[in-house]
Amino acid sequence: MKHLKAINNKAQLLSQAVADDSVEEVVAMSSLAGCTATTDPGWEIDAFGGVTSLCQPMEADLYGCADPCWWPAQVPDMMNTYPDWNKDAMNSKEDWRNLGTVFPKDKN
Amino acid sequence: MDKKRLSSLMPAAALVLGTALSGSVLAKGPALEEGHEYMVVANYPNNMHVIDLQSDSLYKSCELPDAFGPGVTQMAPDGKTAYILNNHYEDIYGVNLDNCEVTFHAAMSLQQNERTKAIFSFAISADGKELYAVQNPTMLNRDHYRVQPSRLAVYDTSAGLNAKPVRTFPSPRQVTVMQTGEDGTLYMAGAEIYKVDVKTGDVDVAIPSRSWQRPLYAPPDVLNAWPIQSPSKDFTILYTTAKFQDETYNLDTADWIYGFMNVNLETGETQTTDFGPITEIYFSGILSPKDPNIVYGVLNRLAKYDIEKKELVAAAELDHSYYCIASNHEGSKIYLAGTFNDVAVYDADTLEKLGNIPLPGGDMAISTSQVFIR
Repeated sequence: MKHLKAINNKAQLLSQAVADDSVEEVVAMSSLAGCTATTDPGWEIDAFGGVTSLCQPMEADLYGCADPCWWPAQVPDMMNTYPDWNKDAMNSKEDWRNLGTVFPKDKN
Repeated sequence: MDKKRLSSLMPAAALVLGTALSGSVLAKGPALEEGHEYMVVANYPNNMHVIDLQSDSLYKSCELPDAFGPGVTQMAPDGKTAYILNNHYEDIYGVNLDNCEVTFHAAMSLQQNERTKAIFSFAISADGKELYAVQNPTMLNRDHYRVQPSRLAVYDTSAGLNAKPVRTFPSPRQVTVMQTGEDGTLYMAGAEIYKVDVKTGDVDVAIPSRSWQRPLYAPPDVLNAWPIQSPSKDFTILYTTAKFQDETYNLDTADWIYGFMNVNLETGETQTTDFGPITEIYFSGILSPKDPNIVYGVLNRLAKYDIEKKELVAAAELDHSYYCIASNHEGSKIYLAGTFNDVAVYDADTLEKLGNIPLPGGDMAISTSQVFIR
C-alpha cells in the first residue's frame, strides 16, 4: 500500500483495516444474501455453462430475483429502490408486458 | 393502522361466483378444522392462502396489510397462527388463520432513521411463545448511510401489534433461514449452521459450512432461502461441492456432488451427507417423512434420490420452475410452490403428477409454503 494514498472515506477505512490487521475478516461468501452483486452464473448461463438449469420460463424467476435484490444489475431492486416496479404486473406470466425499464433519478 | 384489520376471504365458492361476495360479507371465512392438514403460502399483491390437503383445493384466503415480499411464512405450533415476513423484508406479522385477523406485528426497524431488513431470517420457538429474527440495520443519515452490526431480536409472540424486542444480542452477519429445536435451541443458517442459546445469545457452530474440514472437498456452495418446517422436524440445507481425486486438487477430474446438511430438531443430531452427483440445480430439498433414506429436490424438475446409494431414482418434468418443496405428513404427496401462482401436487412414490391448485392473485415469487396440522 505504500504507493497508494487514501483520498476518500472508503479508502481511509480500507487503510485503517490494513493497519488494524483486520483484513483477514473479509472472506468469500459461500452462502449468499441480499444485494450480493454475485458473480454466480444466473440469468445468462447456468452453473454448467448452459441454459437448462436456468429458471423456466425466465418470468418464473423474475420476482424471486427482484424482491430480494438478487441480481441487481439484471433486475430492478424492488427491496429498496423500485419497490413498485411490478405494480401493474402482479402476475408476471400474464402481465409481463407492463414491466418497464428503470433509470436512476436526477439528483438535482 | 386500519389496514391491519384483515378483510377478504376467497373460499372456492366465492371464486366461482366472481367478486360479487365482498370482503365485509366474508370477513372471517371458515375457521380451520381441528386435526385437518393444510398448507399456507403467500402471493402478490398481498394474500395468504390456506390450502386443504385432503381435497388439494383452496380453502380460504386472507388479505395482508402493507406490501408483499418475501412472503416467508412460519407456522406456530398451535397450527392456528401463521407468521409472515413481508413489506419488503421489513415487517413480521402474525395472522390468526381461523378469522384472518392480524394478532402480531413487529417492525424490524427499531429507530426512526433506521432501515432494517430480515433476509428470510426468522423462526418461532417450539412452544410458540417467542419469535426470533436476525435483523440487518442501516442508519439512513442525511448525507450518508451507515451499515450497522446485525442483531438477533427476540419477541414475545403475545406482544400484539406494536411488538418490541424483549432481548437483543449480537448476531453473525449473512444469516438467512432459521429453525428452532424442541429443546429451545435456535439454529441459523449463514456462513456456518449456527446454534444459539436464546437466553444468553451465545453462538456456537452446529454444522461447519464455510469452515468445514472434509479432506479433498472444496468449500460448499449453499443456497438458503426457504425455511421449510418439515413434517419429520428436519432442518435440511442443500449444498453443492467438488471432491478431488487426490492432493493435486485437479478440478478437471473432481467429482461434482450434491449433499445436504441436516439438523434433527427433535434430537439436535446433525449430519453432512452427500446424496448424488450434480446434474441439475435444486433450489430447495426435503427429506421424506416416511423414509429417511429418500431426499427430494426441486427447481426445473422434481427429483428423488436414494441417499445411501447416492442415486437418482426418479424425476418428473415440471410445467415451469418451482422454488419451494413441501411434503404432507404421511409422506405420500409432494407440493411444489413459489414462482408463479399455482401449487403443483405430485405422488411422492412415483412422482406422477396429481394436479395443480391455482391461486387467486399474482406470483408467489420467493414465498415459503408450510404444511401443518390444525
